[in-house]
Amino acid sequence: MNEALVVMVRAIISYFSLLIFARVLGKEQISQLTFFDYILGITIGSIASEVTVDLSSRAWPHWVGLATWAVLAYLMELITLKWRYAAKFFEGEPTIVIMNGKIMENVLKKMKFRITDILELLRNQGIFDLNEVDYAIIEPNGSLSVLKKPENLPLTPKDMNINVTPTGISTELIYDGVLIEENLRQMNKDKKWLMDQLKKRGIKDVSEVFLLTLNDAESLYIDKYKDNIKKVKDIGDYKGPF
Amino acid sequence: MRKFMVAAIPVAALVLFVCIMISGSFFKKPFGKNDDVAQMIETIMEDVNNEAWDEAVAEVDELDSAWRKVIKRIQFSEERDEINFLTSNVARLRGAVSAKDKSDALMELNDAYSHWKELGK
Repeated sequence: MNEALVVMVRAIISYFSLLIFARVLGKEQISQLTFFDYILGITIGSIASEVTVDLSSRAWPHWVGLATWAVLAYLMELITLKWRYAAKFFEGEPTIVIMNGKIMENVLKKMKFRITDILELLRNQGIFDLNEVDYAIIEPNGSLSVLKKPENLPLTPKDMNINVTPTGISTELIYDGVLIEENLRQMNKDKKWLMDQLKKRGIKDVSEVFLLTLNDAESLYIDKYKDNIKKVKDIGDYKGPF
Repeated sequence: MRKFMVAAIPVAALVLFVCIMISGSFFKKPFGKNDDVAQMIETIMEDVNNEAWDEAVAEVDELDSAWRKVIKRIQFSEERDEINFLTSNVARLRGAVSAKDKSDALMELNDAYSHWKELGK
C-alpha cells in the first residue's frame, strides 16, 4: 500500500469536494459569518482533513459526514431564507446596545458583552467619545453598527446643496501593460481616444502602463511601471530580513 | 452550454469521487485467474486440512502475489488497518505452513478470510 499516493488521492477528493460544497453553500465573506457559521466552517474543514489523512478508516464514511454537514447547512440556509421566524431563532437578530446615547446595561448582560468590548468596537470605527453615539447595534455576526448623533455626522454635499456628478465604478482599461478592449468598448471609447489620453500624459505605448482605470465621470487613473519616486518611504518599525 | 458545464463538472466530479471511495467491493473481485484471493484461501484451507504442505507452500506464494495485486486496486477505498491485517495474516500463514503447524495455519486462514469479507463492506 502506497500511503503517500493514497493520501494524495484522498486530498484531491476532499479538496474538490470542499470547494464544491463551499460554492453551493455560497456563504458570504468570513467577516459576515455568524458564530454558528464559523463553527460550521471549522467542523466541515476538520472532517475534510480526516478524509485526507486518516488512513485508519475508509474515506467514504468521513465523506458522507462531510456531505451531510454541507447538506444540513444548505437546508438551514434555505429555511432561514424562506422563514423569517426561523431566521431570528437560528441566526439571532440585531440588538440595540446604545439607545439615544444611553447604554442598555441589561442588554449587554444578556448578550454577554462587556462595556470594554463595546468601547473597543467603537474605537475600531474611529469613535473615541461615547457622547458622539446616538445608536449602537450589535449585529448577528458580532459587529457593531453605529449611528452618530446628528451634530457629529459628517457634512455631505447634500447638506450644502451642492450638485455632484456620479462617478460610477472604475473599469480597468489597461492592466499589466495589456489593453482590455472589451472594457474599452463597454465604456464607449476607442483605441484612438485612449492613445490620445496617454499621449497627453507623455506615455507612448500601452506597455508602459501597469494600470489604467476610467470611471463614468471620465476621470482616469494611470499608474506607470516607471514611478519616478526617488526616495521610497519605509513604514517598517523594525529591520527584518527583507 | 456554458451554464450546463458549470453544473455538470462539479456533479461529475462528485460522482467520480463517490465511485472511487466505494469501489472496494468491485475491485476486490478477481479480474483474472491469478488474483482470486478468496478462492486461494479456500484452496490452502483444503491443503492444510489434508496436510498437503508442499502444495500449501506454493499456494501461499500465489496468495501473496494475488493479494499484492488486489491491494493496488483497493488501497484508495479501503482502510489501511484492514489491508495491513490481511498482509500480516499471509506472512504468518507462510511461517505456519513452512513449520507444518496445522492449527496456526488454520487460525491465520480463518482470520484472513474474515478480514477479506470485511473489505468493501
